[in-house]
Amino acid sequence: MSWRLALALVAGVALLVPFVVPQYSLTVIVSALIFSLFAMSLDLMVGYCRLYSFGHAAAYGLGAYCAALILTHLQVPLVIGIALAVLVTVAIAVPIAWICTRSTGVSFAMLTLAFAQLGYAMLFRFRELTGGSDGVVGIPRPPGPFGIDWFQGKTGYYYLVLACLLGSYLACRAIMRSNFGAVLAGIRENEAKTLSLGYNTRAYKTATVVLSYGVGGLAGALYAGFAGYASPELFFWLTSGHVLIMVVVGGAGTLVGPMLGALFFVFLEHQLSQVTDLWPPIFGSIFIAFVMFFPGGILGLLRRRHAAA
Amino acid sequence: MPLLECKGLTRRFGALIAVDAVDMRLEPGEIRAVIGPNGAGKSTLFNLITSVLKPHAGEVVFAGENITGFPVYRVARKGIARTFQRCHIFPALSARENVRLAAQARDARRAAAIADEALEHLRLTRFADISADTLSHGDQRLLEVAMAIAQKPRLLMLDEPTQGLSLEETDRAVQILKAMLRAGDLSVLLVEHDMEVVFKLADNITVLHRGRVIADGAPAAVKADAAVRSAYLGGAD
Amino acid sequence: MNFASFILAQCLGALSQAAVLFFIACGLTLIFGIMRIVNFAHGAIFMLGAYVGCTAAALSGSFVAALIVAPLAVGAIGMAFERVFLRPLYGRRDGGAHLLLTFGLAVVLSELVRIVWGAQPKSLATPEALLGIVMILEQPFPIYRLFLIGLGLAAGIALWQFLERTRAGLLIRAVSQNSEMVHALGTDVDLVRTAVFGFGCAMAALGGVLAAPLVTAFLGMGANVVIDAFVIVIIGGMGSFLGSIIGSVLVGFVQVFGAYYFQDLALALMYLLMLIVLVARPGGLLGKEE
Repeated sequence: MSWRLALALVAGVALLVPFVVPQYSLTVIVSALIFSLFAMSLDLMVGYCRLYSFGHAAAYGLGAYCAALILTHLQVPLVIGIALAVLVTVAIAVPIAWICTRSTGVSFAMLTLAFAQLGYAMLFRFRELTGGSDGVVGIPRPPGPFGIDWFQGKTGYYYLVLACLLGSYLACRAIMRSNFGAVLAGIRENEAKTLSLGYNTRAYKTATVVLSYGVGGLAGALYAGFAGYASPELFFWLTSGHVLIMVVVGGAGTLVGPMLGALFFVFLEHQLSQVTDLWPPIFGSIFIAFVMFFPGGILGLLRRRHAAA
Repeated sequence: MPLLECKGLTRRFGALIAVDAVDMRLEPGEIRAVIGPNGAGKSTLFNLITSVLKPHAGEVVFAGENITGFPVYRVARKGIARTFQRCHIFPALSARENVRLAAQARDARRAAAIADEALEHLRLTRFADISADTLSHGDQRLLEVAMAIAQKPRLLMLDEPTQGLSLEETDRAVQILKAMLRAGDLSVLLVEHDMEVVFKLADNITVLHRGRVIADGAPAAVKADAAVRSAYLGGAD
Repeated sequence: MNFASFILAQCLGALSQAAVLFFIACGLTLIFGIMRIVNFAHGAIFMLGAYVGCTAAALSGSFVAALIVAPLAVGAIGMAFERVFLRPLYGRRDGGAHLLLTFGLAVVLSELVRIVWGAQPKSLATPEALLGIVMILEQPFPIYRLFLIGLGLAAGIALWQFLERTRAGLLIRAVSQNSEMVHALGTDVDLVRTAVFGFGCAMAALGGVLAAPLVTAFLGMGANVVIDAFVIVIIGGMGSFLGSIIGSVLVGFVQVFGAYYFQDLALALMYLLMLIVLVARPGGLLGKEE
């Protein structure tokens, strides 16, 4: 089966999903799509720059809490609220990215973790604003602009998330295929050489991290609007852990791989949690197995089978 | 005005003085070789000029501008391109992609055309779509040179370009370099161990020994210089 | 309240903090020295040690039992992990694999702890013999904390002598410098690595047991600790044992005095310290490698 045919099928299925699937399953699917967006955002750093972030929950949490606070305190339409949340996340990401890209490897990972932990601690420090361990509840989905309100229902929200996912994917793909992406490839392959060619590699890495936070923030904001609440769990380091697992298991550096990883993760969680309580460490173990034996992830495996066939 | 001037460049590594108050000038259009025994400080000098290392004393002046201590990428943008002793390329990318990335830094719009041109010059066009890590060592070195010229530099710095090349590959490389140099408005600084290559290409030679300049001039003069003979050629040549 | 006695109490508090940090940090630095890997799971190991210690103490009624069982059990787990997962990947050029592996271990351990012990923190009572306070210059100071200082000091000296004076210690230092050479001389370097990794984990677990009476065992205690340990090791120099002692003391003081003067923002102070250290030495690991 060619890729194009598979793509067309997937597109068709995606559009028809809300009409063939029960409402409960739709909730799971929307969560899966939001996670896909979140995972794809991390891939920009991990797959395209080899910057392993252990603190990407910060992007997610920032987006979610910003959206939560904007929507509950200001009378703005949902989509405007989400857009503003993304902007705020991006603004906060700039200094974080600039500081973190000063280092690489483990130091980078530790710095990103430190910022996420800082965010987590801040939630409890400013509990009048953030609700502390209770979080922010009752996030509305105000209609508008121009009275548009189809996203207020679950089906409508599904299409909103799908549109954001598709739009972000196409945008990121275009960026990674452009001259900008070519420079990132150089940084991945040999950063010293890329510097000596005249590229300010730190600026490129910073830009990528900021983009990564922006898209991650979009995922978080969509989550807040969907679930109706934002809680400190979003900033917890295991959230960063889970999304990193999705990226690596799915196949880093491909944008699509991490999305598959997210779907796999959500699907497995759904199936396994009915059978056993041990599913979280099972994920961790699957992750370890992939790191050891299948560095190309699920997508890598699929490609190998496709090539062999 | 000289294109490049090194004034009293000094760099230490602990107790070792790798480069000791080195003065050197390069005029526009000149081809200068830097030679010396192992450990003389040649690569360190290169690293000081391109700002990979910061000097402990002295200045680097390029086209009248003091570029000492500039970030590496800014030095490159000023018009200095270099190759490395240990051949730095992008292994997983194709030859064309390697050169294109180099060209893109200078001129993003015409990058593809410049890349093809550079590959042509170095007679590497047949490898354009092949991944760089599968090329022979000699071709990888030439690829690195192609990347350097794709940057359209004013100063080309080659760090042991013929190292590890066979006699035949060396000859070929020298032919290509000669053709390129006569054709373009380019100045070259060349670190080289192979004396035949040096005498075939260089207008002038700077000789380093233990971090210091011990001779500086035209090839014939340097060859005859007593200090050079004893330090470097060691009498047994 | 006398200012001098107040400062003394704070200093002693800082030293007791440093002692606990030392147990964690020395393990991290030894592991890095011998394998060039930053064990990201060190925080989770610390947490596991705390929980195992709580259970061991609850079952046996003895704090000493916890001090023995937890390091042994967790050390064994560490050795098994190194043997099965880390060892096969030593050849890999891409250092990312080890980073991800120890991260994976951290995730698995943390999730297991959550499942086995639940979400509620577990407490470990300070042992009878060490309860109570002592008056130092008219300031009350917990005996338990003095015990920590003493234990930390003893362990530090013992380890230092071990590394400097014994053949095993020499072997470990040699492998840290040049593993190929040592291997060529006939030593089973793999075994040394496994042993050191296990030992490092055991030390971190011991730190967990010692910390439990002070802070209780809770989920998430590992995430902050691994950052602290990392900062300590960077300050002291990756792979430097003496550095881990110096770093622990420094961070201990920053944490205790920071908590007093900045209260809530003390956490931010730690991150600020981390930033300063990493900005001063952005290479972090790589800087030391050169």
